[in-house]
Amino acid sequence: MPFANRVLVPLLCIGLAVSAAACAKKAAETPSTPAAQLSVTGLDLGRSVGGDKRVSEKVSDFHPNDVIYASVLTSGASQNAILRARWTFEDGQLVNESEQTIAPSGDAATEFHVSKPDGWPVGKYKVEVFLNGNPAQAKDFQVK
Amino acid sequence: MGLFGGKDDKKNKPKPDFSNVQSGSSSTAPGPAASAGRTYVVQKGDSLSKIAKREYGNANDWPKIFEANRDIIKDPDLIHPGQTLKIPSA
Repeated sequence: MPFANRVLVPLLCIGLAVSAAACAKKAAETPSTPAAQLSVTGLDLGRSVGGDKRVSEKVSDFHPNDVIYASVLTSGASQNAILRARWTFEDGQLVNESEQTIAPSGDAATEFHVSKPDGWPVGKYKVEVFLNGNPAQAKDFQVK
Repeated sequence: MGLFGGKDDKKNKPKPDFSNVQSGSSSTAPGPAASAGRTYVVQKGDSLSKIAKREYGNANDWPKIFEANRDIIKDPDLIHPGQTLKIPSA
């Protein structure tokens, strides 16, 4: 066998083997487009929500007898995600904390609401939204 | 109280009582129970796109399967024969 063949043939075989292995992996595990991972895209506050769970009118100042709504907008899909709303007063005093488990397949809105029968103390408040335990959005508001 | 009386008064101001706060929540998204579905055992040559095409008729629905199986699939491009995947309802 000529020298060129003795060197080139094995190299060619190795090259083909590597290509074949790469192709086999590709066929078995076809790459797909990036995952549409669930994320929080918005947080609105208001005194009421519609059937679409979005606030009818966005406000940041409330009255003591208001029911306060927070509408959390999400995009993406998830089989099991936990949205948590944490409401605090002024220096961080906990007002309320509640969760909603969702399994959206696309854009969705989730509302959280709080009320206080004897009226909200006047002052500054904050609502923080967590997605699967991670801080996602927050908004300050006042009761006057 | 003296010179710092004002500060002390503020510090000692009783905190409001929020124990009677009522709360609730609802969503346009279904809960996990509503989307519970069947399972599928991965065969050789499968991909999430192929499974989505077969289960839903649309290969682009593969993220539904990926999200439902995040506990066992770390990389959507890497599934292995023998894995049992949850297939959520379409």
